[in-house]
Amino acid sequence: MKLFVMLLTCLAAARAETHVLVVAGLGGEREYEQRFSTWAGELGKLSGAQVLAGAAASRDGIRSALAQIAKSVTPQDDFVLVLIGHGTFDGVEYRFALPGPDITAIELADWLNRIPAGRQVVVNATSASGACMDVWRAPNRVVVTATKSGNERNATVFARYWVEALRDPAADTDKNETVTVLEAFHYAAEKTKKFYESQKRLATEHPQISDAGGIAGRIYLARFGATEKARTDPAKRALLARREQLEQEIDKLKHEKAAMPLPEYKKRLEALLIELAKTQAEIDR
Amino acid sequence: MMATLLALALLAGPGEPLYRRAESAWKQGDYRAANDLFRAAVAAEPQNARYRVRWGRLFLERFQPADARQLFEEALELEPQNAEAHLGLALVAAESFEGAAVELAEKALKLDSRLTEARELLGRLALEDGDFARALAVAPDSEAVRLTVELLADRTPTIPNPGAASYAEAARHFILNRRYEEGVALYRKAIELDPRLWRAHSELGINLMRLGDEAGARRHLELAYSHDYRNPATVNTLRLLDSYSKFDTIQSGNIILKLHKKEAAVLLPYVKAEMERALSTYERKYRFQLERPVQVEMYPDHEDFAVRTLGMPGLGALGVTFGYVVAMDSPSARKPGAYHWGATLWHELSHVFVLAATRHRVPRWFTEGLAVLEETTPSPEWGDRLDPEVISAMQERKLLPVTQLDRGFVRPSYPGQIVVSYFQAGRICEFIQQKWGWEALLKMIEAFAAKKTTAQAMETALGVKPEDFDRRFLEWLDARYGKLVRGFDSWRTGMKALNAAAREKRYDAVLREAPALRDLFPDYVDAGSAYECLAEAWLAQGKPDEAALELERWAKAGGRDPGLLKRLADLHWESGRKKEAAAALERILYIAPAGDEELHRRLGDLKLESGEFNVAIREYQVVLNSNPTDRAGAHFRLARAYHLANRAEEAREHVVLALEAAPGYKPAQKLLLELNK
Repeated sequence: MKLFVMLLTCLAAARAETHVLVVAGLGGEREYEQRFSTWAGELGKLSGAQVLAGAAASRDGIRSALAQIAKSVTPQDDFVLVLIGHGTFDGVEYRFALPGPDITAIELADWLNRIPAGRQVVVNATSASGACMDVWRAPNRVVVTATKSGNERNATVFARYWVEALRDPAADTDKNETVTVLEAFHYAAEKTKKFYESQKRLATEHPQISDAGGIAGRIYLARFGATEKARTDPAKRALLARREQLEQEIDKLKHEKAAMPLPEYKKRLEALLIELAKTQAEIDR
Repeated sequence: MMATLLALALLAGPGEPLYRRAESAWKQGDYRAANDLFRAAVAAEPQNARYRVRWGRLFLERFQPADARQLFEEALELEPQNAEAHLGLALVAAESFEGAAVELAEKALKLDSRLTEARELLGRLALEDGDFARALAVAPDSEAVRLTVELLADRTPTIPNPGAASYAEAARHFILNRRYEEGVALYRKAIELDPRLWRAHSELGINLMRLGDEAGARRHLELAYSHDYRNPATVNTLRLLDSYSKFDTIQSGNIILKLHKKEAAVLLPYVKAEMERALSTYERKYRFQLERPVQVEMYPDHEDFAVRTLGMPGLGALGVTFGYVVAMDSPSARKPGAYHWGATLWHELSHVFVLAATRHRVPRWFTEGLAVLEETTPSPEWGDRLDPEVISAMQERKLLPVTQLDRGFVRPSYPGQIVVSYFQAGRICEFIQQKWGWEALLKMIEAFAAKKTTAQAMETALGVKPEDFDRRFLEWLDARYGKLVRGFDSWRTGMKALNAAAREKRYDAVLREAPALRDLFPDYVDAGSAYECLAEAWLAQGKPDEAALELERWAKAGGRDPGLLKRLADLHWESGRKKEAAAALERILYIAPAGDEELHRRLGDLKLESGEFNVAIREYQVVLNSNPTDRAGAHFRLARAYHLANRAEEAREHVVLALEAAPGYKPAQKLLLELNK
């Protein structure tokens, strides 16, 4: 499994581009306007995204931006859309609140379907966003919503932690110096839960993820370390192969943990980890 | 006689047969039928006040005081001079220690001087106020009152063969006087005389639990419950006993801690260390050795804690002490910033010493006052701040004479009097300490242990009569708070204007007006305080060091908002004052230590940097115990701290665990190689 991921990464590094669009919807009140545009702005900086906020975040503005993206992306590319703001659900239809006419989940689904990116990520961090889950679910599309249904209608904090995930190394749980969609989701969902617990408030949002294609763990949103140059260095191919082999052995050993005495497991694990650390040191030299 | 009965029957309305059947069903213990029949009787004769009163009494007996109150009030609307209805209302008020109980019972007695139950109630109420003479005067024929007075005064009862109910009533008063073990013995005596006295079984169970005997508690509570004695205290205490499977019990030396499993690992290092510190400090201060370990229970759900205080007078809002057992809110039971668990712990542990040293013969005002004073022993920043409610009470001269101060705790006569009484008792002890020294307070403890009254203890330990003491205390209080009390209304107006200026970003006005408002009422540290407005203004003017100075003042005055404390830590950290940054974060450990990985991680980093490796290890271990999202990172930080503390084996263990979670974690790989050299 690990090998497969590594190969995919190499392939992706060679050809793929990630297009990110962030939309900060209508705040309604000054406090929310400020909050939404701040989060969107930070997200823009962290992920090099195109940001639509204020008057630019209109129905036409979004349609035009998505149409433009549809023209420029290829099936080898990834596309990420993040919606921040207020959403509503009347029992039938979800609407994203915008200056001027709102847009519905169905309209957005239509526009998203026209984007030829091989993999899509749609993060709807608005209230009532859970109502979009079924409408947007598609193969090779990850859908993240701040709420579990359209009935969770209070303003959300999920977006705040989604932004934080992209700059906090703690979100990178496997410590490979990148944050994937899955890692960002786990981080933001956990932080959202703890926010309500610490404030002694009843949680009014329960983040959800739909990842039908099992791709959320392979789409990168942020990198913390320098990109690994060794991947393209022919002199280090043997070391890279050795590293992959060791990683596989560690994975295998971890699977066998329950079936062997703990001291033996620890001894073997430590030996493999030392070997892996030495190999990595050679690669980085 | 027959003719009279016949005439009565003929005069009786259509509800009378139903009413009689209701009474009969009630007598036989068929409460449901009695309820239905009372309802039918009232429907048949809506103008009959007596039916409503009796129906209300059924509700009262079956633990539904709110419904009972409503029926008594309806009866009084029909018949304003109905003595039984007034008595009913008095009984309802007495259950919840309302000040109106006495007045209502007196009114009932005035309307019907033969109403023995009203006399008995007045006697009980006088006992609750500690006024034995009055109790005997108003209820001279009450066996329960006479027995209670004799037993509370440690005299051998002179009443021949008192009944079980009288022993149970005496037991209740022992509990109210916090003489738990003697109270339990009296409940046992009541049950011995009448094994079917289910109320006594229930109350015995509740009090056995307060003394830490969970098995005994369960036995008696289940007996009461299975015999249909299901008042909220019985049901909720049984539920709480069931929930104990979710708690960990940790014993270490003279400490027993009961912490909820979900937070035990996070709270344990802090609570245990603080308990050890408090107990050793108190042993020295009170010159008293406790006989057995102290048990502290911390409840993350305030409702669970509230069950422990059911049927108790007074506030008991944060913690309560039953001899050697303390029950209190855990920090996660409250909104962050609303509760300082460290101060509450020191408060309650002070009770443990004072109750033990006086063998529980101490007036409520004194033990509470001393406990309030002790809240600030670890740091003057701790303890409750002066409350606007208290200032109003001082303005309106509502403070009680010291000999009557207990009444302010047990039976408050106005909203907020309990809070005011805590404040007054605390300041009285502070005044005694300042004028006569700590020795005088110890002498008072000795006097109370020797069963002296407040007046006698004051004369013995301080050489003053209570009335002289009150006068000197009020002078002292005025010197300290007089300026604020007199200027409080203008402070309120000034604060309103200050907050408006801050909202409108008129920072020059904030900087001009805030210092005087801050200095007039320095204890005001809640949201929108002058400190906060000043800090915001300094920041807006690009002066972060001034802002930090202001927030530091706020923290030293007792500011507890974790968000602002973190802001203070940031300001110190950004200016390179790392020691001060760590101190700001350390304050949060006493306010909201659970559920905040970032707090412990940052504090650990600062402590690691300053070479305090053991504190860093504690903080990183707490991060790990918080079930963090970044498990590999948590293990790695702990490994690094162990490595710097020269604890190689533990460092190796944690670095391997970090790499097991994330094999490609480069800093951990480097540490592993370093450890392996």
